[in-house]
Amino acid sequence: MNQFIVDTKNLNFSYNRTKKDIENLELKVPKGSIYGFLGPNGSGKSTTIRLMLGLLKKRSGTVVLFGEIFNSKSRLKILDRVGALIENPSLYDHLTAVENLRIAANYRQNISFSRIDEVLEIVNLKHANNKKIKEYSLGMKQRLGLAISLLSNPELIILDEPTNGLDPKGIIEMRTLIKDLNKKYGTTIFISSHLLSEIERTCTHVGIIRDGKMLYQDTVASLKESKGTNIKFDIEVDKSIEALSVLKNLKMKNASLLDNFVQIEVKNKEEITEVIDVLRAKKINIYQVTIKNNLEELFLSLTEN
Amino acid sequence: MTVLSFYISCIKNEFIKLKRTFAFWLTIISAILFPILFFIAYFLKHKTNTPEIGINPWEKFMTTQIENSIPFFIPMFIVLITSLIMQIEHKSLGLKHLFALPIPKWSVYFGKLTIVVFAIVATYVYYYIAILLTGALLGFIHTGLAFLNFQPEHLKFIKILFTSFIASLGIIGIQFWLSFRFENFIVPLGVGMFFAIIGIIISQAPQSIYFPYSFSVLSVSLGDKMPLTFGVSSVTLFSIICFLMTSVLGYIHIKKINIE
Repeated sequence: MNQFIVDTKNLNFSYNRTKKDIENLELKVPKGSIYGFLGPNGSGKSTTIRLMLGLLKKRSGTVVLFGEIFNSKSRLKILDRVGALIENPSLYDHLTAVENLRIAANYRQNISFSRIDEVLEIVNLKHANNKKIKEYSLGMKQRLGLAISLLSNPELIILDEPTNGLDPKGIIEMRTLIKDLNKKYGTTIFISSHLLSEIERTCTHVGIIRDGKMLYQDTVASLKESKGTNIKFDIEVDKSIEALSVLKNLKMKNASLLDNFVQIEVKNKEEITEVIDVLRAKKINIYQVTIKNNLEELFLSLTEN
Repeated sequence: MTVLSFYISCIKNEFIKLKRTFAFWLTIISAILFPILFFIAYFLKHKTNTPEIGINPWEKFMTTQIENSIPFFIPMFIVLITSLIMQIEHKSLGLKHLFALPIPKWSVYFGKLTIVVFAIVATYVYYYIAILLTGALLGFIHTGLAFLNFQPEHLKFIKILFTSFIASLGIIGIQFWLSFRFENFIVPLGVGMFFAIIGIIISQAPQSIYFPYSFSVLSVSLGDKMPLTFGVSSVTLFSIICFLMTSVLGYIHIKKINIE
């Protein structure tokens, strides 16, 4: 049986009396997983993370981390095993990267100076270790924030929108880093994001939240399966009306038209070739074929009414 | 990990955070501001300031300086330095990070409060040293001022400064709580400046011994006329009580707030 590193029961929280911001949330993060916490902006992701870390006082429910109930007694013991990066990293702008790390290391007390070098190496910031943070780019700050959360070799890393504001290169680097940590050290990683593609590429497990309620929680693989095996794709052609009638004759009833694109749903990849062959036989020019992301539609259908 | 080690690591970190900040320089600038002004005044008008033979020049030099700067300047300085030191944390969004670390919240609150008190004590010390150095320098440049021929009455002036510091503890407690609680530093600054001015205005009224923002003025202006409570100067006693109460209440409050 999978042991849960994070396990919340009936978690409730509200910033004011009129609205429930988190409602009966049951979060289950298995040990060794990369858990993607997905939801649109303002759905309660950051609030949940703050509740997990005890930054906000919950109205009711329990938060269990590493099998232990989080309360004022167990707080220090539990937080000692957690590294967190909550939204924008908390960095002192007027200090250098090394000074920022030294502060974090002093707070955690039993961290050696060589570990500071190590984490700088991991996040690839060794070259800028004596630069002041105000000279850092957003991506570098985000990476330094991650380095701080790595200092104590935590068993659980919580990252709140770690790729926010990063450029494509930064996003890829962050993604590789997260996967490496999980693979090499078996670290359980909890990532929140509003981008499905991010979660899909990085995570093993996913939880989808909207308006403070958990809508779906399982492995990423079973999320993909739950939408069925049909493949939806678009074909850009020169004679779209003709193409549509050809496909309708082929008994492809779910074919439809959108501008110069014909949208079709087929059972397997082989059928894509068949469709192309039929169209080419009729001298219809094909400019592009795009397979649509089922998961994206599922996410939209889950998170939009 | 012992209670003490948490506290020490917090203090150590507060020192690192002060590096290269305006708050750090403010302690030095504030300390040397008045001694430099007095130095210039004495330097330019050294003839009118030359004492009669046998008179200790330090007495006038130090008394006028302390009486004219401490009562009005210290409350403003405390309001500013407390806000600035807390602003280092607020600006870096540090509280959410600190409160998610495996350290007790009290060590964060009292570690920072210690640094604020330390910065203020340091300013008093710098101030005293600056007075002595400027005096000695004046004596060296204009021997007629006779600063090098006499010793200042150290004990008397250190006692005045110490009393003034104790009288300031009350507002340190209040201002620290406000600065910790409010991210927007206009709040502690605005409230502090407003009360500091009110404190000066009402300091003539006998009831001002109950208003912490007047204590700094009263500690110097009342002198021997200071009313006593349980045999101790009322202002000293009330200031200490105010400091202890606001520190404890402030911590209990901060411990419970939601960090958004």
